Amino acid sequence: MSFKLLRPSWTLVRSLASSATPKKTDIFIVGGGPAGLTLAAAIRTSPYLSGLNTTLVDAGDLKGKTAQFFHNPPEDFSNRVISLTSQSKKFLEQRVGVQLMSDRLQAFDGLYVSDGCTDAQLELEKDSMGFMIEIFNIQSSLLHRLSGLQSPTLNLIDQTKVLSIEYKNPEDPQSWLKVSLSNGEVFETRLLVGCDGFNSPVRKFSNIESRGWFYNRFGVVANMKLDFPPFKVRGWQRFLPTGPIAHLPMPGDRATLVWSTTEPLSRLLLSIEPQQLALLVNAAFVLDDVDMQYYYKQLEQGSITTQELQEDIAHRTEVKYGKLEDETLIDEIYPPIVSEIDGSSRARFPLKLSHADSYVAERIALVGDAAHTTHPLAGQGLNMGQGDVESLVKVLEVASQRGLDLGSLLALEPYWAERYPYNNMLLGVVDKLHKLYSLDFGPIVAARSMGLKLLQKLEPVKHFMISSVSGKAR
Amino acid sequence: MLRTIKRSYTKFNPEFFKPMAGSGEAISSPKFPMSTSTSQDEMKHFSDLAPSWWDVSGPQRILHKMNLARMDFIQKTLREQYTAGPETYVPGFNYKAFLPRQIAKAIENELDQDIHSQLYGQKLEVLDIGCGGGILAESLARMPFVSKVKGIDLTPECIEIAESHALKDPSLTGKLAYEVQSLEEVAGSYDLVTCLEMLEHVDHPSEILRHAWSRLKEGGILVVSTINRDPISWFTTIFVAEQVLKLVPRGTHHVSKYINSEEIKQWFQEECSGQHQVLNCKGAMYVPLSGWSEHDYSGVGNYFMAIKKVAE
Repeated sequence: MSFKLLRPSWTLVRSLASSATPKKTDIFIVGGGPAGLTLAAAIRTSPYLSGLNTTLVDAGDLKGKTAQFFHNPPEDFSNRVISLTSQSKKFLEQRVGVQLMSDRLQAFDGLYVSDGCTDAQLELEKDSMGFMIEIFNIQSSLLHRLSGLQSPTLNLIDQTKVLSIEYKNPEDPQSWLKVSLSNGEVFETRLLVGCDGFNSPVRKFSNIESRGWFYNRFGVVANMKLDFPPFKVRGWQRFLPTGPIAHLPMPGDRATLVWSTTEPLSRLLLSIEPQQLALLVNAAFVLDDVDMQYYYKQLEQGSITTQELQEDIAHRTEVKYGKLEDETLIDEIYPPIVSEIDGSSRARFPLKLSHADSYVAERIALVGDAAHTTHPLAGQGLNMGQGDVESLVKVLEVASQRGLDLGSLLALEPYWAERYPYNNMLLGVVDKLHKLYSLDFGPIVAARSMGLKLLQKLEPVKHFMISSVSGKAR
Repeated sequence: MLRTIKRSYTKFNPEFFKPMAGSGEAISSPKFPMSTSTSQDEMKHFSDLAPSWWDVSGPQRILHKMNLARMDFIQKTLREQYTAGPETYVPGFNYKAFLPRQIAKAIENELDQDIHSQLYGQKLEVLDIGCGGGILAESLARMPFVSKVKGIDLTPECIEIAESHALKDPSLTGKLAYEVQSLEEVAGSYDLVTCLEMLEHVDHPSEILRHAWSRLKEGGILVVSTINRDPISWFTTIFVAEQVLKLVPRGTHHVSKYINSEEIKQWFQEECSGQHQVLNCKGAMYVPLSGWSEHDYSGVGNYFMAIKKVAE
């Protein structure tokens, strides 16, 4: 049953590790991302769990670079921006007691979703429907909260990797887990929580199968500067046949881009001039797919200059605007114009769906991306992780009041039972939306446009969707 | 089967009220010539079960699940022994009905924390009679307000399993001790004596109650749980649980050994009149897929009862 991660320095580290006396800990968290740090802080602030010995290990520079972000934030926004539902924000602020950096997050009051093949659209409106926030903001605010708690029972280890995980007694899966770290320390833990992302070593050790697929699409992100701060602060999303493009508000005249597209196009978007990308983003929300395909082709061949691109897009946009009944509609149905894109903030990542068969095993729990990853089109990825943490902490509180061994399956099972169906539903809906909108087959486009138009008129259904997006349905 | 049903209708269990027969002719085990011993059959049944005791998805799963409800019951009973300290403001009216929800919730939280800190400041000593593999004893020993748990059982195989399982959790070291011992041999007195899912497996339950009661400190609490002797209990605990769904190992239960909650109350009324107070008595039922839940019909099926020893 023992599983070892192969490293070149294995033998050396092994001899170091075995010479160290194992330290005992109740909960060992692998990964200091938003999920791991939230879990640590939620355990520390729970009246029932705060006495537990908790250890968190992360490979990154948490205490240095990440923690500094709170005290010395850079002027520009970082490119890892996500949407936080009001439910998740409430949990972080009220339950965990985190003070997020409020000048670096932006509430949005609605979403405007449109079909890239037709003029069908859906408008969802609600004050503070969600919040756009940098992941660094969440992480560093959590670290600030943890350092303020000054807890002797919490041990934060950064710049350290997990080398191996094994059962203390290999024949007994109920025995505690032995975790060896790259700094030579060895821990014996009652419960091992994997907050260690998509390639979770903890999940691999636990032999829990994770199923899913790659979408064959990449998400391209970038920081954008707008012509002027938007009058109506909302998110914009258009389902192009290559994948949805989203234009999401950040404080002032800033905005963030999440453009899901095919692999070759994602490479193109990263390699063209930042100014050209800004023009393409503006065009993508207004022009037809044929126009976009033409620009992609020209840019790929290098047969169009920035000047020509700008003029062509300006001309076609004017034509589009001219067809509107009323000029005031422009601000109503198209997002604010992007004037600049920070080229160095561009990045891309592959999009995938994955879902673990179970989130728990004897002495093991999986949280966040270790258990599930989703397409970013609904902005739910990080929030699902926050929901997991909320549920896991509640389950651990109940188990500790019942005197259960917190690492036993009996204690952990309710966590999986509560989260799996909800996450599965969300993953399924997002997956179907992606598939439905990646088609440009006429009848299907007509049907989905009709569906969207119908939805626009059905207030109760819209209300339900809004509450799902802002996390109230949980 | 019909005879079983007929017998289960018997209003009084003659065994239950039978006074001890002097030197004990009913006692089957020569190794334990005590009034609180049990039959060889029961001992064999439990020693066969011992190896799979801690397999939470094995034959004892339903008992593991039941333990959750038992711990909730014990914790709730103990909490109810405390009232708000002078520092905590609790309105003298039904604040949950009259105050805005948020304020009511805040008051409730504060009260909860107050009681929590009072209870968690305690150092209770616990005796678990018929501890088996130690499911309840371990859970109790993990509670911060418990300083010591002694678990006793007559089946050596179960005690062996309990001891080896307790070694897996270092936090139990020094808090938990097991012994193959009959109740009469136990010395000392305890704040909490538990006797759960056990009375229905012994020959002379009244003797168990008598001895358990004598091991209780004044102000201490005895927690008992067993099964009412009625057709519904036969249907749920034997027909459905043992024979149809096979949730419980076959041969675990015998309707004739079940004891009605009223009989226990009556026994205390007669034997400890004025010295006891029934704190809480709840029925418990197993709901497939969701686990055990409490209900108010303590005269039907399984039940939990908490009795406090009070000064005369």
